[in-house]
Amino acid sequence: MTVRSVDAVVVGGGSAGMAAALAMRQAGLTVAIVERDPFLGGILLQCIHSGFGLHEFGQDLTGPEYAERFIGPVLSSGIDILLDATVMEIRNEPPRGKVLTAFSRRLGIVRFSTRAIVLAMGCRERNRGNVAIAGTRPAGVFTAGLAQRLVNVEGCIPGRRAVIIGSGDIGLIMARRLTLIGCKVLAVVEIQPYPSGSVRNIVQCLNDFSIPLYLGHVVVRIEGKDRVEEVEVAPLDDGHPVSAKSFRIACDTVLLSVGLIPENELSRAAGVSIEAGTGGPWVDADLMTHVEGIFACGNVLHVHDLVDFVTEEARRCGERVVSYLGGERKQGMLTVAPGANVRYVVPNTFVPGRENVLFLRPLVVKNEARLEVRVDGQEIRSRRLAHVQPSEMIRLSLDKDAVSVGAKSTEYGSTPYGGAKSTGYGGAMEVSIR
Amino acid sequence: MSKSVELVCIACPIGCRLTVTSGIKGDVEVSGNRCPRGEIYGKEEVLAPRRIVTATVPTRSSLFPSAPVRTDKPLARELIPQLLKTLYARTADLPIKQGEALIEDFHGVRVLFTRTLPPDEVPPVG
Repeated sequence: MTVRSVDAVVVGGGSAGMAAALAMRQAGLTVAIVERDPFLGGILLQCIHSGFGLHEFGQDLTGPEYAERFIGPVLSSGIDILLDATVMEIRNEPPRGKVLTAFSRRLGIVRFSTRAIVLAMGCRERNRGNVAIAGTRPAGVFTAGLAQRLVNVEGCIPGRRAVIIGSGDIGLIMARRLTLIGCKVLAVVEIQPYPSGSVRNIVQCLNDFSIPLYLGHVVVRIEGKDRVEEVEVAPLDDGHPVSAKSFRIACDTVLLSVGLIPENELSRAAGVSIEAGTGGPWVDADLMTHVEGIFACGNVLHVHDLVDFVTEEARRCGERVVSYLGGERKQGMLTVAPGANVRYVVPNTFVPGRENVLFLRPLVVKNEARLEVRVDGQEIRSRRLAHVQPSEMIRLSLDKDAVSVGAKSTEYGSTPYGGAKSTGYGGAMEVSIR
Repeated sequence: MSKSVELVCIACPIGCRLTVTSGIKGDVEVSGNRCPRGEIYGKEEVLAPRRIVTATVPTRSSLFPSAPVRTDKPLARELIPQLLKTLYARTADLPIKQGEALIEDFHGVRVLFTRTLPPDEVPPVG
């Protein structure tokens, strides 16, 4: 068995893992990346469409092009890269040590002895079981991302006549992709009264090909003996399907684009606590979880809609790891909580006296909205937003003077979780949309 | 008489809501855009719509059976089926490098590989 010793180990070699690893390596740390695929790049490699990199590079790149902006630098930076390997366990060795155990196809068990771990495992798709659709259990039901991998990476065609459930971006992108490879996309069925993907994708993926979008409709049954034969679609009235108005669509394939779940089995087993709002770890302003020395970034922390934001967050995470290992203590953190019309805010604490970047996801569709930031009930910042919708994450940067240092700050101290939480004075920040 | 249409800009993921007004003399005005690309998109969309096309071409490799490609510039929408037909008739030989051209000139656009793939059956670094 091999034991390797590094300053930090990154779990996952996708967009988040690569950006975090590079930031740490560039600051002089020794870094390892463990990746389960036989190559770096993650899900970007199957996203062959364009639209990536507008914030990060000012260019309209495809997924593989965006990934290669990082793969090259990672390969040449002296980062220890273990591919085709699955992380089995993270063990905390008090006071601050960590042992990470991975299983590699080529090398067997590989152990890393380290001081910091960055969780960057990304997310996975919700499937038929998660949305409980009645009917039989025929072949031909795929999650949209799986179909994307089959088409774009494996070169397979999953079916000929498809119905897509859910209007998330991956589903919309796949509606276009299937059409371009000669399949017929008969319908996109969305349970909400508004699309859950971006307007841009509705235009260029559905409208361009005259693919019907059924808003406020639900697929109530999937039927077929061996292969999918048809789906039954019903409109919703007050949240209930109206069976009298239901109709059937004959098809051989169903794609599900019904949401993503941060992949946190490994994190939970390591003692990291998970937030209900995001499905990802609770993290402080340094993106550190409740377990000291374990950090998280990218889609394992919360599901992003733009990879550019993942890169930005992961780079910041890498920089915070560098500060942490350099012995820099976080002082005076405020807790951050979602207020009216906000599903979640990440991270969960705020440090006065430095720039803080918050990501939040709205709960409502609204024009001319107002974003309000309050500390202990008192408004400190606000911003006008022309349009908000749940599928579009909001990035909020608060300058170093947004909250004054000292007066309103809380002590950073030990809690039963062993991490950061306010003690004593209850300074709290709330972000809401009105 | 002038005619106006409401469009959502697809030049980037922000998705500005545009109003494009066409005059009788063929002049087109765009409002609601937050950047110059929105104006270009709005005009093109009513005069001659174009799209970036991304697709894959098969390879002979079993490890990497498919190579992703893109057009370097947006292509006129009515030419997309013809481009796809051309692409699906091709096979890419590995190795390939990102940015290399598969097709040098298809009605004024280049078709480029978007992913670097190693020689057949040689696993990448590890």
